[in-house]
Amino acid sequence: MTVEVDIEKEFYRRKHIKKKGEKPSFSMHCSFDADSDFVVLFGCSGSGKTTALRCIAGLEKPDEGTIKINNTLYFDSKKKVNLTPQKRKIGYMFQENALFPHMNVRQNIEFGLKGMYSTEKKEKVSAMLGLVEIEELEFAYPNELSGGQKQKVALARALAPNPEVLLLDEPFSALDTVVRLKLRKELRMIQKKLGIPVIFITHDPVEAFTMADRMVVFDNGRVQQRGSPEEVFYHPKDRYVAELVGFSNLFDDAVVEGHGQGAECTFLWSLGTEITAPYIERMAGDRVSWGIRPENIELVDKRYIHTIQKEGRKNLFYGVIMNVVNKGTSRIMSLILKESDDVLKVEVANHAFGSLKLETGDECMVRLRTSDMIVF
Amino acid sequence: METLQSVMIPLMLTLKIASISTVFVTILGIFIAYMLAKREFTGKWLAEVLVTLPLVLPPTVTGYILVLVLGKNGIFGSIFTKITGSGILFTWQAAVIAAFVVSLPMMIKTATSAIGAVDRNVEEAACVLGRSEFETALYITLPLAKKGIVAGCVLSFARAVGEFGATLMVAGNIQGRTSTMPLSIYGAYQTGNDELANLLVLILVVISFITIAATGKLGER
Repeated sequence: MTVEVDIEKEFYRRKHIKKKGEKPSFSMHCSFDADSDFVVLFGCSGSGKTTALRCIAGLEKPDEGTIKINNTLYFDSKKKVNLTPQKRKIGYMFQENALFPHMNVRQNIEFGLKGMYSTEKKEKVSAMLGLVEIEELEFAYPNELSGGQKQKVALARALAPNPEVLLLDEPFSALDTVVRLKLRKELRMIQKKLGIPVIFITHDPVEAFTMADRMVVFDNGRVQQRGSPEEVFYHPKDRYVAELVGFSNLFDDAVVEGHGQGAECTFLWSLGTEITAPYIERMAGDRVSWGIRPENIELVDKRYIHTIQKEGRKNLFYGVIMNVVNKGTSRIMSLILKESDDVLKVEVANHAFGSLKLETGDECMVRLRTSDMIVF
Repeated sequence: METLQSVMIPLMLTLKIASISTVFVTILGIFIAYMLAKREFTGKWLAEVLVTLPLVLPPTVTGYILVLVLGKNGIFGSIFTKITGSGILFTWQAAVIAAFVVSLPMMIKTATSAIGAVDRNVEEAACVLGRSEFETALYITLPLAKKGIVAGCVLSFARAVGEFGATLMVAGNIQGRTSTMPLSIYGAYQTGNDELANLLVLILVVISFITIAATGKLGER
C-alpha cells in the first residue's frame, strides 16, 4: 500500500476570497510518500501539518497537486479529480476524539459500517473492540469514558471500515504521560499487525522519534526535511530543524578557518576561539552555523582539569554557572563562557550534578565532542 | 353551558391553529436553520434579515403585508382563490399562516445557533466514515442540536398560541371561526364580559406556563 502526496494550498486573510495582487497570508506546500509504514509529520503548531492531513482526507481542497493512494487518484488538480471524503478509504482520528456523544461505543464503531449485514457488523465491532482491548466498554457512552478510552474507541471506529490509510492528528496530545506512552506502543503494534500506512501528526519530539519509521519535518507550510528519525535528530538539515529536535545551543557567526587532514574535520572560529567541528564542504572564510545538544556537552570534573589540559585536548571551554534549572531527572545549567560571553546550555544528570558539588557562580570546564556537533 | 362553549371553541381553535403552524414551522424551520448554519451562499445575509424581520416588525405591519399577499389580487390569494373558489382571508387557514410567519423566526433563531454549535469535527468524522451530508445531518447534527430544536418548537408554539395582531388583520375576529383565545379575550374585555375574560386569561397563562416548563424538562434530558 502506498501513499503519494504532493499538494499546495494558499490561504488568504478573508477566507478563500483572493483579491487581485494580494499575497497569501499562509501557503502550504508539501510532498511526501508513505509505504505501509509509520510516517510522522513533525513541526510546531501552525506549520501546516493539519492542513496537509485534512487535504488527504478530503476535508479541505488543495489548490494544486496530486494525492494518490494505492494507485487510486484521490485528488488531481490537472485532471480535475477530487473524491469526496465519503469515497476516500481513509481512517481519521481527530485531536479531540470527535466521538458521537449521543451514541454508545458499539453504535459509534458501527456508524462507519454502512451496508453490512447485522451479523457481519457485530463480528466487526467485536473484532475492533478486541484489537484496542476495550471489550467491556461496548455499551458505554463517550461521557462515561476516560480520555485514553475515548481515543481507543476513536481508533477502533476509524479502523472498522478497513481504511487504506490511517491519519492521526495529534491523537494523544491531551492525554497524561502514562496513558500516552501505553497508547503509543499499542498504536505501533496495531500498525504492524494491519500493515497499512499510518500518517501521524505530532509536535512532541520524543513522540516523533519513538513512533516514526520516517519523519517529515514541517515549518511554515514547507517540508524542511524528510528522513528516518535518526537522520532528522542526529543530522538536522538546517537551523530550524535543529532547534526543533533539541539543539538548543546554536551559533550562527562561525567562520571556517580550514580543514583537517583528509577532510576529517573543519576548524571554525567561534565563541572567541578555534573549534574542531565535523567536516563541512565550505571554503575558508565562509560563514557557517553550528550546534550541539545540551545533553551532549561533557562537564569536566575539577580533579581532572589539569590532566586534560596537559593532554592538549580540543574544544575545551571555561564558563561561569549563571543559573541552574532542575527538570526533575536532570538539570540545565546556563554557562557564560569566559572567552566570548556567549551562553552555553549544559544538561547534567542529577546524580552527576550532585557528585560534582556545583553551585551558581562556580567556574567549570566543559568539553564539546566533535562527533556530537552539527555544522550547516 | 354557554360559558363552556365560549371557552372551549376558542381554546380548541387556538390549539389547532398553533399545532398546525408549529408542524410547518418545524419542518421548514429546521431546513432553513440548517442552510443558514452550514452553507455559504450568495444573498445569505438577505435571507437572515428576511427571516428575522417578523420578530421586530409590529404585528400590524406583518398582518398588513399578509393581507396584500393573501388578498384576492395577491400572489398567494389569487392562486388559492383559483383552486378553492373562495378567498383565504378571514378563514382559520389565514390565521395559521399568520401564526406561521410570526413564529418562524423563533424556530430559525434557536435552531440555527444550536446547529451551528455542533462540533465540526464530529460531523467531519461522520463524513470520513463514508456517510453522506444528508445522513450526517439526520443521524449526527440534528440529534446533537435536539435541545435547541425542541426549544425552538416550544417557543414557536407558545408564540403561535399568543398571536394577536397579524391574526386580527388577516382572519378577523369571527366568533367560532377565527376568534382565537387572545382575540376572544379582547372581545370579552371590550364587551364587559369580565368573567369570561378572567377565565380565558387564566387558561392562556396555564398553557404558556406548561409549554415553557416542558421545554426546561425536555432540555434536561
